[in-house]
Amino acid sequence: MAEARYTTSTRVPAGQVWDFVQDMDHWARFVMGYQAHQKNSDTESVWTLKGDLGVMSRTLTFEVLITEWNGPSQVRFTLRGVNEPMSGGGAFTIEPAAAEASVAGAGEIVAAGATAPAPAPAPRKGLLMRWLEALARWFLRLLGGRAQREAPPAPGAGGAGSRLSFELRIDPGGPMAPMVNAMIKPLLLPAAEQLADRILAHLEEGRAGEGAPR
Amino acid sequence: MASAPDPTAVPARWDVEVDLVAVGSGLGGVSAAIAAHDRGLSALVLEKAPRLGGVSGFGGGEVFVPNNHKLRELGIADSDEAGRAYFQFLSAGFANPALQATLLANMKPAIEYMEKEAGVRWIAVEGLPDYYYADAPGSHSGGRYLSVDLFDGKSLGAWQQKTYPMTPHVPPGALHREMYAWGGLACVTKWDYELIGQRLGNDQRSFGPGLMGWFVKAAMMDRGIPAHVSTPVRSLVVDGGAVVGVRAEQDGRELCVRARKGVVLAVGGYDWNRELAKQFEAMPDWNSACPPYLHGDHLVMAGEIGAAIAAVPPTDLALFYGYSIPGEESDGHPLHRSSWECGCPHALWVNRAGRRFCDESFYKDYQPRLREWDGQHQTMPNLPPFLIFDQNYRDRYPLGSFMPGQPLPPELVTQADTPRALAEQLGIDPDGLERTLARFNEHARRGEDPDFGKGSRPWSVRLTGDQSYPNPCVGPVEKAPFYGVRLVPVSVGINSHGLRTDEHARVQHLRGRPIGGLYAVGNSAALLDMGGGYQSGTSNMRAITWGWIAGRHAAGA
Repeated sequence: MAEARYTTSTRVPAGQVWDFVQDMDHWARFVMGYQAHQKNSDTESVWTLKGDLGVMSRTLTFEVLITEWNGPSQVRFTLRGVNEPMSGGGAFTIEPAAAEASVAGAGEIVAAGATAPAPAPAPRKGLLMRWLEALARWFLRLLGGRAQREAPPAPGAGGAGSRLSFELRIDPGGPMAPMVNAMIKPLLLPAAEQLADRILAHLEEGRAGEGAPR
Repeated sequence: MASAPDPTAVPARWDVEVDLVAVGSGLGGVSAAIAAHDRGLSALVLEKAPRLGGVSGFGGGEVFVPNNHKLRELGIADSDEAGRAYFQFLSAGFANPALQATLLANMKPAIEYMEKEAGVRWIAVEGLPDYYYADAPGSHSGGRYLSVDLFDGKSLGAWQQKTYPMTPHVPPGALHREMYAWGGLACVTKWDYELIGQRLGNDQRSFGPGLMGWFVKAAMMDRGIPAHVSTPVRSLVVDGGAVVGVRAEQDGRELCVRARKGVVLAVGGYDWNRELAKQFEAMPDWNSACPPYLHGDHLVMAGEIGAAIAAVPPTDLALFYGYSIPGEESDGHPLHRSSWECGCPHALWVNRAGRRFCDESFYKDYQPRLREWDGQHQTMPNLPPFLIFDQNYRDRYPLGSFMPGQPLPPELVTQADTPRALAEQLGIDPDGLERTLARFNEHARRGEDPDFGKGSRPWSVRLTGDQSYPNPCVGPVEKAPFYGVRLVPVSVGINSHGLRTDEHARVQHLRGRPIGGLYAVGNSAALLDMGGGYQSGTSNMRAITWGWIAGRHAAGA
């Protein structure tokens, strides 16, 4: 299993972030490889994404089920591949940031094979992993998909800002699972970074009332 | 009216001056650069694509060399005479004897040179027979194919990101010998994916990406030969009838490079020039499994200065049939996969009449039969072919990247409860398909195919056969539901037309003389050294050998 967690801070208040995040239509197009999505109910949706492995890309369809709705701070979900033997899940977590606890953007990727829901200690990344992540980020920039938030703004005075965390977990199935796992592992953290950063970049530009650009 | 500027004219100034320019960064171009460099020349490699490696870095990575030194190290008997006899058999009388003799005389020195001087770590693929073993003269039971040891992508420095770490056509991270030890392509579900995953995570490359990795390391890292990607060469520059440089394009600007000793055209074929390919290959449709940079630039640029184009019979082609899985892309284009499923049990091909027409497990048999022409009706009766398989197949073997049990996309695969219903949906004659399956299954239950001999070639058995069957390539197609896929041609970049070259790899003018300063190697050179036949691994061998010859000749060897 490959898992990534990314946390970044913003001067935008938590309530405003929540208001934006709680409707997937607002941020769907910020998801890496986004092609389409369809809401079937308050908790069920189907997403079509294009997964890019550098030498080839493949269109993937996932069923996403919201399993916990703890507004205004957290939403958890599971996902299941429709045309691929994959499962997984993740969460958005939004917290008001205490002034002294401002985090200037931190990301980590958790070791494949870690199955406990509690975050495992992040192992030291190998050179190759760092390179693959860098490659994924470079590719995203090339596509214009990654928001440029090199220095995320600190929370406002009096702790008016917030922190947004995004967790993503993918567990490939089938006989090729170890190979697929190795392929997607380097992509998860850039994917999490992209989604969180693009959401916050959008809000920081004062465009909370708008959906993602089409 | 002012005339357009002559693209072959000598520019007012050169941006770069070197001794040898290799146009294309596959095995041919890089081998030429290595050979030239080692003879004291300065070399430069210009690549149109954003990555180095060309088709060589995207393929299977086999290099076919009879009586090679790795085979001898294993104590496996072979001889130059046997190798020569086999190549003569392959050529079917269509080869240029002088070119074939030059190829055979130089392939072993070139391969051994790349090991001794360039550090390429060859491995003989034991047990993989020649295509035409055992009936062809000089054919061999296994060991003539060379592949490479795992290559560490991290050793490429900045080139790591600008080379292919894997190819979509073969599961990455496995060696050829492992692939066959794990049961070959039919048993791809049983491969050691834990090991493959570990290697992938460490960027340990194999197949074409591994082969090309060794050559790029030798050239760019160990020798410091400069290379530019995303730099297409637009024209050759001619002075006094000889090629003295190239005009390339880089970042939207012209880059004029002087080549004091020669220009080597190593840009592959013309797979992605669809109209040219359809005309030259006499096919009504055309697709490619290669990266989308093969536009026949060599034919345009060299043709512009009077170069001769030559052709071999289209029987020579490594032309496959396959499909494109909806949603799969490579370099922004639909990814086409060649279909090897037809070599497995419980699968066969039929035409629109519902009739079989070939040994589906041996593409050298199916390819000319696909080209069959019905002069009475002005049709090609075997186009398109349809892959037909049953649930027994689905329970055991993959279709492309879809493993058993994984749903197949209905846009690609038609499914029905009976052969008749399947035929009706696919536009096949239902009676014909029912008759074909009745006859095929009757014999297949005994592991036999008296009509076309499916599974009679040891090479096919090794590549796609399931060794648990009496005939590893044959099983009845009888368990519902039934499945069908309409197939399309999928070329792998080996075309019938190329530039006419001589025994020094020099491009020949239409007047029959060599064009000074211009060489063509690999798939850019007509396969006159091969003639009317093909054997996997010969393209890579030709590229290395003729690249090595060209680089040395430019240096005066």
